[in-house]
Amino acid sequence: MGLVAALAAGLVVAVSPRQRATAQDAPAVTVQKAHAGSAAPALKGRIVLLTVGSDSGAPKFGRGGAVERGRADALQLVIVDPAKRRGSVLSFPRDSYVPIPGHGTNKINAAMAFGGPQLLVATFERLTGLTIDYYVLTSFDGLTDIVNKVGGVQVDVDMNLRDHFAGAFLDKGRQRLDGGQALAYARARKTLPGGDFDRSRHQGQLLLGGLGTFQRQVAEDPAKVMTWLGVLRDEVKTDLPFPELLRLALVANTVPPANIRNVPVPGAAGSAGGASVVRLQPGAYALFGRIRAGRLS
Amino acid sequence: MGLVAWRGAMQTSSRNKVIVPVPSSSRRRRAGIAVVLAALVLAAGCTSGGGSGAAGQAPASTAGPAAPAGPLEVKLVATAKVPPGGPNARRAAQQATPGLQRFLDRYLSAAYVDAAGGEAGWDGLLRLFDTPVRASARKQLDALSLGAAATTVSAVRPDRASARAVVLYGGKRPEAATVRLAFDGTADTAQGGGQVHLRSVLQLLATGEGWRIAAFDSRTGPVK
Repeated sequence: MGLVAALAAGLVVAVSPRQRATAQDAPAVTVQKAHAGSAAPALKGRIVLLTVGSDSGAPKFGRGGAVERGRADALQLVIVDPAKRRGSVLSFPRDSYVPIPGHGTNKINAAMAFGGPQLLVATFERLTGLTIDYYVLTSFDGLTDIVNKVGGVQVDVDMNLRDHFAGAFLDKGRQRLDGGQALAYARARKTLPGGDFDRSRHQGQLLLGGLGTFQRQVAEDPAKVMTWLGVLRDEVKTDLPFPELLRLALVANTVPPANIRNVPVPGAAGSAGGASVVRLQPGAYALFGRIRAGRLS
Repeated sequence: MGLVAWRGAMQTSSRNKVIVPVPSSSRRRRAGIAVVLAALVLAAGCTSGGGSGAAGQAPASTAGPAAPAGPLEVKLVATAKVPPGGPNARRAAQQATPGLQRFLDRYLSAAYVDAAGGEAGWDGLLRLFDTPVRASARKQLDALSLGAAATTVSAVRPDRASARAVVLYGGKRPEAATVRLAFDGTADTAQGGGQVHLRSVLQLLATGEGWRIAAFDSRTGPVK
């Protein structure tokens, strides 16, 4: 009994305010000065991604079939130089009339329907002379779900839009688009003065808007990286191995959207076999040459 | 990445949160430690006539021999993001927790506890980083660990180590995680004792060899 009382008394002494004050009042040694640091993966060389929006595999929009066997109606080449923190988004009109390996010359959006993403990648590599590292593919459903699941994306809408065909009713200016609005902005074409060229530029704006939204969210909460990766995992098809996807996401967080040019590939409206097509202009091939030479800006 | 958002992020909602209980063996160990502390206090009181030396918890400024280092134990609160049709989120978080705790233990041991004296070097710590970020980590050791101060420190005793993790599952396995890590310790130097602190956001990648740090945003030194 006495021992218990003594132990209890000892504990009281150990935590008494007087004892704590003694320890706190004594001068402490500064062991380490303040240091701060951060780093993302240092990836070597240029990264080239082909992002594709398919017109198939979207049950919510009444689009059946497999997403990777549809027509590729949104086509962007995303080129990033991680070391320089610069990049370009080349937006291709879907009606670009180009050679498709093994299938003669046709609209570029038909390549995926002919031979899946692999043939589409081969078509782009032959057209541009660039080696495409990975493709990322989604559908109408996928795009709307991605945008809704991340809480919308901030986009600089560059014109007033009243497009009944695509359901796009947007005023010019910076705004947050939900999934349906983002899809409508990506699809609107018939009422736009530049038609397919304006549309492909808008698709590039959506990509850059998504990048800016990602960076803002991650700056507020770093765990948002996991949110975005989870959404992409669920909503896109890609040949990117997960470790590379994570590293790219971490690199993407360091590249200011202002350092990425959204460049519509130069082309002119024409026709082939009675169908309206876009014929790429010499400026397009000059652009590919500059990109191959590493000039992204 | 935002250490500026640290406080807010550390106070996230409790939805889907899994608080990992302290293992019962640890509780027993702590109870044992408390009894030993009490006995030491009693003994000190007997031998010094009720002097002011508190035992067990070494004052920050004492320059005497270091007290035995307490066990490093990272208190981890984890949540999981699982794919549709994947495992239950709560169970997934529980499943990922031991591996993450072991990793963070290894990190803090290499960065602080085992780094004291500066003889261990930093290779063990740097091996915990994914290859594409390792060179950057090597250049920023002062922000990730005791760094250059290691040679002046004879011992580091952990006071508090806590972490919050969001774990991303692919299928049935963790693939990546974001971890907010906080560590406070007491370091002994020839000039006396002082506090060491670490506040880090670590982006982790699950590899065949365990977790690796793919990116970081880290701060050491006095806590503001």
